[in-house]
Amino acid sequence: MTMPLVEMKDVTVRFHGARTVHAVNGVNLALMPGETLSILGESGSGKSVTLKTLLRLLPENRTEIGGEVRVAGTDVLSLDGRALANHRGGVVSMIFQDPMLALDPVYTIGDQIAEAVMRHEGISRQAGLARALDMLTRVRIPSPERRMKAYPHEMSGGMRQRAMIALALACRPKLLLADEPTTALDATVQIQILLLLRELQREFGMAMIFVTHDIGVAVEVSDRIAVMYAGEFVETGTVQQIIREPRHPYTKGLLAANLHGAVKGERLDAIPGAPPALETRPVACSFAPRCPVRAESCETGRPPVATFDPGRMVRCIHAVEPAMAAG
Amino acid sequence: MSPATVLSPEAAAPGPAHRPPLLSVNGLRKHFPLKGGLFGRTTGVVRAVDGVSFDVAEGETLGIVGESGCGKSTTARLLVDLITPDDGQILLESRRLGVDLDVRELRRHVQMVFQDSYASLNPRLTMEDAIAFGPRVNGMPAAQATALAHELLSKVGLEPRRFAGRYPHELSGGQRQRVNIARALAFSPKIVILDEAVSALDKSVEAQVLNLLADLKKELGLTYIFISHDLNVVRYISDRVMVMYLGEVAEIGPVETLYANPTHPYTRALLAAMPSMDPDRRTEEAPLSGDPPNPINPPSGCRFHPRCRNAESLCSGGSPGLFKLPSDRHLVACHAAIPGSGHSLAEVTA
Repeated sequence: MTMPLVEMKDVTVRFHGARTVHAVNGVNLALMPGETLSILGESGSGKSVTLKTLLRLLPENRTEIGGEVRVAGTDVLSLDGRALANHRGGVVSMIFQDPMLALDPVYTIGDQIAEAVMRHEGISRQAGLARALDMLTRVRIPSPERRMKAYPHEMSGGMRQRAMIALALACRPKLLLADEPTTALDATVQIQILLLLRELQREFGMAMIFVTHDIGVAVEVSDRIAVMYAGEFVETGTVQQIIREPRHPYTKGLLAANLHGAVKGERLDAIPGAPPALETRPVACSFAPRCPVRAESCETGRPPVATFDPGRMVRCIHAVEPAMAAG
Repeated sequence: MSPATVLSPEAAAPGPAHRPPLLSVNGLRKHFPLKGGLFGRTTGVVRAVDGVSFDVAEGETLGIVGESGCGKSTTARLLVDLITPDDGQILLESRRLGVDLDVRELRRHVQMVFQDSYASLNPRLTMEDAIAFGPRVNGMPAAQATALAHELLSKVGLEPRRFAGRYPHELSGGQRQRVNIARALAFSPKIVILDEAVSALDKSVEAQVLNLLADLKKELGLTYIFISHDLNVVRYISDRVMVMYLGEVAEIGPVETLYANPTHPYTRALLAAMPSMDPDRRTEEAPLSGDPPNPINPPSGCRFHPRCRNAESLCSGGSPGLFKLPSDRHLVACHAAIPGSGHSLAEVTA
């Protein structure tokens, strides 16, 4: 049996400052090599923070990380200095929503990619530039030779996104983290980027964790989905399980709010209220105040975690009841 | 600008409707000059909106969709004269803006809600002041305006006792957008333009606001112009949908017709680009390659022709103009859909 590439055990992230925020509250995750997981959630649910923990990109002095994070056998939380620098971009790489912030505006695309490869693999500048050209070709940038010498501002939005993907994958990472990489793109460009990521993932055999608030995007790219709410995974399962038999009331609400198949003129089954502020660690079910099927016990204690097959988990009192499970 | 892109009088007629449309837009055009060079000379023009015509009937919701740079937001701003058009007519209940209708009156009847709920509100005004401001400067006594603000706050689901005295930064995005909607309603407008008004909200909050918009429409008999890039939301809320591409109308028609039977290749591509919701039938091929081109130097002829699979030499030559299809109120600007156009896919007319 192969080892998971990524293992997160009871990971907590707390931000200190003017006020304390309990951003991530006990995340458990195992991701196999080559697998794609989407973390689905709304703003403030902790999905981006979970991603950044894997790269240790959170501000050191204000962040308290608990639990265990292992990627390819390495204890990520104990990494330091040179080892951490090798981890970032070498083993694990990340792409973002805004490529303008991820790319350096004063270097050409070719130079940026070449520099990253030279730093990580210790190869010559010439070999680095050759890799850069190869990467630009693989991400299907038209006339890549010419684009090697282009600055980020000279490219269109979709092309910049492709250039950022080329940069992120240039050192052949085992894991790609994607933080809403298509949210700012137009619809016809978004689907191109999603298909490209799927194809490159197959080609390079890398695992991917994809953060999104859009269920449709998650369906297009992932094998599994983890639904996140108030810093916790409330439901995990294969894409089919999440889409066809959602068990957590929040997952059901999110699916309804996607409006796919909503009937015109009919009232939407909207989830009332807003997510909690997370100034304290949740002591009851975080979703209870908004839940249409809450019971008294939901507001007094932590909900039980129901696990079915490996990878299928629901954090809800109703999930363990056979009647609900059948429905 | 070829005259073909402007609706022919026959096509502009609102079908079998007996009453004149509530809002009628004819040949609307706005080009923005690009300044540059040594003395700030004009180096080019952005053809943001280029000959757009449409009608909005009382009580309906018209959805406007398209990608960035297609001119949907510029169209919205032109409708309330936040930008002055270079050319074209705007008629509200058959009264023409600038002739027998002034801007002040137009804006009383046509109000707007923007995407950025925070930037839309003055950070130094409490919610009740923000809503009462408009009526007050239009001559309503202060006490009455405040009472109206409280009434509107409860109408949009915000308890006045809790929210009237709050400032914008003390509210969540969804709550702020409710305030913006309340403010738009302060003049009892006939039409509310919602320019990506729910796009920045989280999905669960978006659904709440969509329910609110439906309730308000029914209660107050409103007409909406709903601009969005989210085709699921547009399908849910709209009666008719207008698809824009590079400053022009590509297709316009009843929502069911347009989604079930898209005729313009661009509409088909937009619909095909929607992520699949079926994990066993994921999208295998992108319907279009490349980014939407820049409206600074739009392609000749049909502006979609460089990205179109059905493009023929005819398409780069002349603009197709909007053609009325046999089905009710469905118009499309595509040579392949116009009988006798000479396109190989078009019907041949005798």
